[in-house]
Amino acid sequence: MATQVFKIPDTIKKDAKFTFCPGCDHGVAVRLVAECLDELGLRENTIAACSIGCSVTIYDFLNVDALEAPHGRALAEATGIKRARPDKFVFTYQGDGDFASIGLAESIHAALRGEKISTICINNTTYGMTGGQLGPTTLLGQKTTTSPTGRNIEYYGYPIKIAEHIALCDGTAFSARVSLDTVANIRKAKQAIKKAFEVQLKGLGFGFVEILSSCPTNWRMTPEQAHERVRNEMMPVFKPGIYKDITVNE
Amino acid sequence: MSHIVINDKMCKACYLCMKECPMNLIKVSDTKTNSLGNNIVEFNDPNNKCLGCAMCATRCPDLAIEEVIKD
Repeated sequence: MATQVFKIPDTIKKDAKFTFCPGCDHGVAVRLVAECLDELGLRENTIAACSIGCSVTIYDFLNVDALEAPHGRALAEATGIKRARPDKFVFTYQGDGDFASIGLAESIHAALRGEKISTICINNTTYGMTGGQLGPTTLLGQKTTTSPTGRNIEYYGYPIKIAEHIALCDGTAFSARVSLDTVANIRKAKQAIKKAFEVQLKGLGFGFVEILSSCPTNWRMTPEQAHERVRNEMMPVFKPGIYKDITVNE
Repeated sequence: MSHIVINDKMCKACYLCMKECPMNLIKVSDTKTNSLGNNIVEFNDPNNKCLGCAMCATRCPDLAIEEVIKD
């Protein structure tokens, strides 16, 4: 008997066409979020807080209510939404520059307050939308348009490891880092996103997933080479894994 | 008969799906192009070898592989 093993999630708008560059992992991440919303039956009860960057266009693709936030302030806005409407499921979808540089104060304090919000943070080690500038997660030695000789410690300092920092906050219920470089890792990423959504539904605290993603355009690579780079250069520094999960101790 | 359905309008020709297919059934089309003029992929399975594993659809970042039917 023929069975349909894959279909486009219902949460994705009809005829939505992703405006990301060819080979960009943002498309996979958006689809995983939509699949998790479908499977948990949250579509009609969700409000998304959108960030600035390549991640901004998520409200064009998902069939959920969404509010746009100033740069980096998605979690501050999400806090307001969740406190005004605690019955709603609230999530933010942000990039690394938005979450960990411009909005670091809002992000860390939302985690410290233990807001019942889920956050997906895409880490591609650069500012993708504005043309590949040095970001907070840019790897040591990586060449960008604002670090043409490569990131060095004396001038630029070290990259931030977001998942570890969020895991140190007492209000965090779940913090994990996943990658999208292989199909197996994509499936693990979906499990992590689902878990981050579930801790909010159970009212346990802040749920956070950092997703290692490729940016073929700004890395000046083919999509396949970009995945090789994620595997060989990013994953040894940003180690995938679950850094905090309070449901394990229950 | 297991098969996949490719939406030609969505394919951006990143070719990530070609490497994922364990049976090498996805190939670059000689004739079909997208709006940018890049040759898109096509499903080529004359001997019904498709496993219906959905690895290509899981990998595709642009929802171009919109259905996977497994028999």
